Amino acid sequence: MTSMTPEGLIDWAGPILSGALTTVQIAVLAYAIGLLLGLLGAGAKLSPWAPLRGLATAYSTLIRAVPELLLILLLYYAGAQALDALLAYLGMTGAVQITGFATAVGVLAFVQGAYMTEVFRGAILAIPSGQLEAADAFGFSRWARFHRIVLPGMLPNALPGMSNLWLILIKDTALISVIGFNELFFTIQQAAASSRAYFLFYAAAGVIYLLMTLSSTALFARLERYVRRGQPTEA
Amino acid sequence: MTSSLQHAFRPRSSTAPAVVANQLIKHFGDLEVLKGVSLDVPEGTVTSIIGASGSGKSTLLRCMNLLERPDQGELAIADEAIRFDRNPQGDIIGLDRRQLQRLRAKVTMVFQQFNLWPHLTVLGNVIEAPMRVKKLSRKRATALGEHYLERVGMADRRDAYPAFLSGGQQQRVAIARALAMEPRLLLFDEPTSALDPERVNEVLGVIRGLADEGRTMLLVTHEMHFAREVSDQLVYLDQGQIACSGTPEDVFADPRCRQFMAPAA
Repeated sequence: MTSMTPEGLIDWAGPILSGALTTVQIAVLAYAIGLLLGLLGAGAKLSPWAPLRGLATAYSTLIRAVPELLLILLLYYAGAQALDALLAYLGMTGAVQITGFATAVGVLAFVQGAYMTEVFRGAILAIPSGQLEAADAFGFSRWARFHRIVLPGMLPNALPGMSNLWLILIKDTALISVIGFNELFFTIQQAAASSRAYFLFYAAAGVIYLLMTLSSTALFARLERYVRRGQPTEA
Repeated sequence: MTSSLQHAFRPRSSTAPAVVANQLIKHFGDLEVLKGVSLDVPEGTVTSIIGASGSGKSTLLRCMNLLERPDQGELAIADEAIRFDRNPQGDIIGLDRRQLQRLRAKVTMVFQQFNLWPHLTVLGNVIEAPMRVKKLSRKRATALGEHYLERVGMADRRDAYPAFLSGGQQQRVAIARALAMEPRLLLFDEPTSALDPERVNEVLGVIRGLADEGRTMLLVTHEMHFAREVSDQLVYLDQGQIACSGTPEDVFADPRCRQFMAPAA
């Protein structure tokens, strides 16, 4: 009926916005957990203890070697079953929605963590060793050395890679639609299919993704200016 | 035992050495870099280690705060013997990290390449270790930091980042950073070797001033004339062994020592 006119878009505006919000929530959470996994992974990969190094290497190598779509499906079915079993054990019912969201976040974070591991490892290795030696020579504890010297020292090197991974993550959230979870892309597909206004809805989706990525690119640029505050600007 | 937070430096009256090294041996792979070196730095005195490149002088200095772990020997810092883990043969295989952190707060170092932290301002660099290691409040650390920046003539650049300073200025900040811990012993690892020739004197001037105050210092340097002027004790290292040591007068008067010194001078 109203399918070929912008009114179709207006009818779907609510669900699409809510899908977009879900996408942002999934991405932000997955990114935060991915950062943490990446720091742990990089720490493990640089550890003097071989078994830990091996574990981290297996993680980053395997995850990065397999298509994300396949990982999402694999981890979804494995993860969803585990979560369902857990929730059932805890006596929580009607938790299907939670399961979908948690699985989406978990899978994407797990994949992000593998890439972050490599970004952080490279960034930490790029810190001039004298800066770390100075921290050691002044009696810094491991923790003080990590969060006062290593972390701020590696961020200028890591941020371009981190920014890339964030953009890839936003786009990867679309893959979550394959498990039938109501994020932006899934909602758009439904809208497009039911109204048959394919171009309209996919174009709208493109604009929304573009808004998300452009605004975050601006944020990353500011962040990078901040972490490079001690560095002379290149001529 | 712990140094108090006085701003004006008081030389200690005791004559116990700030550091005592006994028969240090250090290998890098098959190369024996230190072949049983013994050295004390008496409180309130300046000792300079001189010698050709590759003689082991930087390694010896770096053993004094255990940036290099000796393979054998004994070491006492600030009247406290280092607890080394040893295998049955007596080789050193480990350290007590807590003791190490505690003692490193009392023996601070100035590096050849300055090694300032680029993400912190001049003042930030100076107050970082007093705050994180000695757990001083930001206010107290800042007062201390400003005092020592004044001392090295860098107070007006307190808010600058290191990359915007000349090498000589960076090294003066690094000296203030080492002083702000109010250490028992200051270590200098070729502090002027990375500087442009016209910047050397401003750094040597600061070190000379510290020597005149009676601070306990151990220097590795190629600046032979400077070492002769400021040192109470000169140690000439040759192929991992002390070839000559004594007061500058004695060392330069001894023909055998002079012969060693000739190529280095």
